[in-house]
Amino acid sequence: MRYVIDALIVISIFFAFAGVVGMLRMPDTFCRMQSATNISTCGILGVIIGGILYSAIYLGNAEMAIKLAVMGVFYIITNPIAGHILAKGAYKHGVRPENKMVVDRLEEDFEQ
Amino acid sequence: MSELLFFGICFLALALMLCFRIFIGPTVADRANAADCVDALTDMALILFALYTGRGIFLDIALVAAVLGFVGTTIIGRYLEGKL
Amino acid sequence: MKKATFPAVISTAIVCYLFWLCITGQLAMLFEGEAAWQVLVAGALVSLGVGLFAGKYFIHERSFYLWHPARLFTGLLYCIIIFPWELLKANWDVAKRALSPKLPINPGIVKVPVDLQSEYGQSALANSITLTPGTITMEVTEETTDEGEQDYFYIHWIDVATAEEKEAGDAIKGTMEKWLRRIWK
Repeated sequence: MRYVIDALIVISIFFAFAGVVGMLRMPDTFCRMQSATNISTCGILGVIIGGILYSAIYLGNAEMAIKLAVMGVFYIITNPIAGHILAKGAYKHGVRPENKMVVDRLEEDFEQ
Repeated sequence: MSELLFFGICFLALALMLCFRIFIGPTVADRANAADCVDALTDMALILFALYTGRGIFLDIALVAAVLGFVGTTIIGRYLEGKL
Repeated sequence: MKKATFPAVISTAIVCYLFWLCITGQLAMLFEGEAAWQVLVAGALVSLGVGLFAGKYFIHERSFYLWHPARLFTGLLYCIIIFPWELLKANWDVAKRALSPKLPINPGIVKVPVDLQSEYGQSALANSITLTPGTITMEVTEETTDEGEQDYFYIHWIDVATAEEKEAGDAIKGTMEKWLRRIWK
């Protein structure tokens, strides 16, 4: 069981590393937001599930396990709202990528 | 037992790498987004530290940090949109 | 803004009370039979007040709609098995793109029609799309044509395979919408 928990946390570290590298390498703002979603979904859920197993089995502390589950649900609910509002706000503020996007229906439909 | 501390240090190193994006980010949205992710990564380090020491009080701090990160990011987004 | 109805207040208060029980640690003590009654009563009062003030923002129609065995089971199946599998696939895809040396990205904003009518169904679908790495919902609009009303999402997609509306919709939200249609019509 110990190795399962370690494997979950290592998977989570791998996805967080991929997200950080993506945020440093991607060329424009919206692609960086896609990589940020990578950090805050799989980079977090591995640690939270591993923490629930660890605190329920090795620490014997049900209160900590319940708090960790509440944190996981909270992250899953609030993260898309923050991402959506930030992307929409950046677009309305006038942020455009340097390289041209393949297709931009939002500009075609709203900027007549 | 002690590998939890090692994983926590890994998360903190990733957060430190991401601070580079906060310094060089060309737009405000980049900086806000990177700050949100730094918040999430330090939260994970805090959770691992709470598991290492076995004290539940650190989880409350992690939850409060998560709530504050969400509220800050949302308010910056609304302000950029021009509806605040 | 409509006025708060009684079922909206009650269902908001139940969710708040559950959150209170989890966060104060009383839920674990309730099973061991040593919960403090002062904390329980204070939580009930506070969550009733929160429901009274905030109920009209959360619930607009059919408060206990999800509280039906078939819909509850489908929702749990979606949340536990279907959606995490999609999440893992998309995560692996974006991680592979970020780590590969040539950086194969092809970004663009596509327009996608949505078949769900209900308010909750649309918000669940939009949140699912934003939560998968590689796609972000940026705008929700409603257009009136001669056949009726049709809702559209504008989605930023990191790898635009096709700009045609139907095919892009199938590629982005095919599985998720099929499962969500069983809960909300």
